[in-house]
Amino acid sequence: MKKFAARVVARTIEAATCVLAMASLVFFALRVLPGDAARLLLGDQASARELDALRAQLGLDLPMSVQYGHFLRGLVTLDLGPSLRHPNVPSMTLVREALPATTALAATSVGLAAIIGTLAAVLASGPFLGARRVWVERGAVAIASMPLLTFAPLVTYALAVKLRIAPLPGDPDAGVGGLLFASSLLALPLAAQIARVGRAALADVERAQFLVAARARGASQKRTWLVHALPPSLGPILAVIASQLGALLGGAVVLERLFERPGLGTLILEAYAARDMPVLEGAIIAAGVLFVIVQAAAAAVHAAIDPRVRA
Amino acid sequence: MRTRAGRALPLGALALGCGVIAPLRDPTRLTPALSFLGPTLPHPFGCGEAGVDLLALVTHALLRAAALAAVVATVGLVIGAPIGAVAAMRRGALERFVDRACDLVQSFPSFLLALAVLSAVRTPTRIHLAIVFSLTAWAPFARLALAQTRVLRSAAFIEAARALGVRGSRLLLRHILPSSMGVLAVQLGATAGAIVVSEAALSFVGLGPRDGVSLGSVLEQGVASMLFAPHVMAVGALSIMVTSAAVISAGRVVDVRSRLRADTPKGL
Repeated sequence: MKKFAARVVARTIEAATCVLAMASLVFFALRVLPGDAARLLLGDQASARELDALRAQLGLDLPMSVQYGHFLRGLVTLDLGPSLRHPNVPSMTLVREALPATTALAATSVGLAAIIGTLAAVLASGPFLGARRVWVERGAVAIASMPLLTFAPLVTYALAVKLRIAPLPGDPDAGVGGLLFASSLLALPLAAQIARVGRAALADVERAQFLVAARARGASQKRTWLVHALPPSLGPILAVIASQLGALLGGAVVLERLFERPGLGTLILEAYAARDMPVLEGAIIAAGVLFVIVQAAAAAVHAAIDPRVRA
Repeated sequence: MRTRAGRALPLGALALGCGVIAPLRDPTRLTPALSFLGPTLPHPFGCGEAGVDLLALVTHALLRAAALAAVVATVGLVIGAPIGAVAAMRRGALERFVDRACDLVQSFPSFLLALAVLSAVRTPTRIHLAIVFSLTAWAPFARLALAQTRVLRSAAFIEAARALGVRGSRLLLRHILPSSMGVLAVQLGATAGAIVVSEAALSFVGLGPRDGVSLGSVLEQGVASMLFAPHVMAVGALSIMVTSAAVISAGRVVDVRSRLRADTPKGL
């Protein structure tokens, strides 16, 4: 138990370091790299006085160490200052408003991908489809090797414009259907990865004695595969999900753009276009935190279901 | 197709075709009267927003995307592979550190990193993109070189080389890295393919190079005009797919030992 606590502490420190490193990178990228933030905001025609006034307002005239101190304090207190586009709105409020949409999209995708991918892995390994099971894996390979960026618009065109069974991009009444359609597109590549890795993991246990024992005790094929073979194979599946989260976040930005959905990605792009630095920092850091939390959660779930990991 | 050079054939043919067509067509010339025109004989791919010739846009963008991908993947290989190999040869704390660092960098949302860095420059160019992508591109190469070297470091031929007095960089460059090139070459292609897609994705969301000459901006135009000019989207999506596939296959060219391995009997 002591070892377990030590591991939790170590993971938390690692996660915090990860967030801090990314936040600092965002901070320094926006300040140290060539390109004066005040000039970026006001454009080339701005007078020297306007530039100075804005620098003072943003604290850009202070020494770098002081700015960094302010930034770190803002990070801890979750207050990075007001948005530059909407001076009366704290940037963190904008981020908080955008978070649920992206979280819903990402969570639904992970859930769908886990279910579809695991079922496909079982179908590709078990005796349920007979000789046709190789097609499950071939399909997974084909989907996994196709970039989301290219097939998402094509599938959307086919389903939304031609067949009219899915909501059109940007449809304000899309609601749950829109969320489901967008997240199943986002889920497809992840599901394909899960299917491939799950298939390999199941191949490792498929000749294990405990499966023979389960069959001998009278368990059905379905029960043997789902209840006995699957749990020991979940480790690699969770590892794939954790390792694909970065890609998932990137995919979420692309899909939010494609479907004109509100969310963190849309907020980042808007803040980028308007050079709204506090919002941009807040949104990127929030996305990073989201990413770290889900990754830690995947590790915790893995430890909870697999006693070999805890040992 | 199965030979080493054959792997580069698709990319070579693509680059040659684009290299011939691109200088003849100007991707910045706009003829508003031809906006979103379907494919015709003078404009085989049709026209996009404001009447830009899509064949011109695609050929120019494809060449630039392939060049970017080649540069970033090579930088990743040249930086990452030695890091991983050295770490595995040194063993101990360095090996564990590089292992963990690769873990962190590989799981890092590189798209966010790109957003963060690109937001700091006024007009993003492909040079900025190359720097951003290189920040994380080394990790998979280091990870693979580490794993390969772990196996190789106890191999008889490495021990023999050491016994003969081969040390340091010579051991690394002449004995360890060439034997790891098989997996590294596959990763080279995979990284280059991912860069093609990432560059297109960044342009798609409006963060790409400002000149607008990118496969992603063709796709972006296509999505915006999906309802009345679907050919633009098809051209954009297919060109990204073809480019990334050609680049992935071409990575295998650097596998210097592939002939050797094909000649040796299985199991050796």
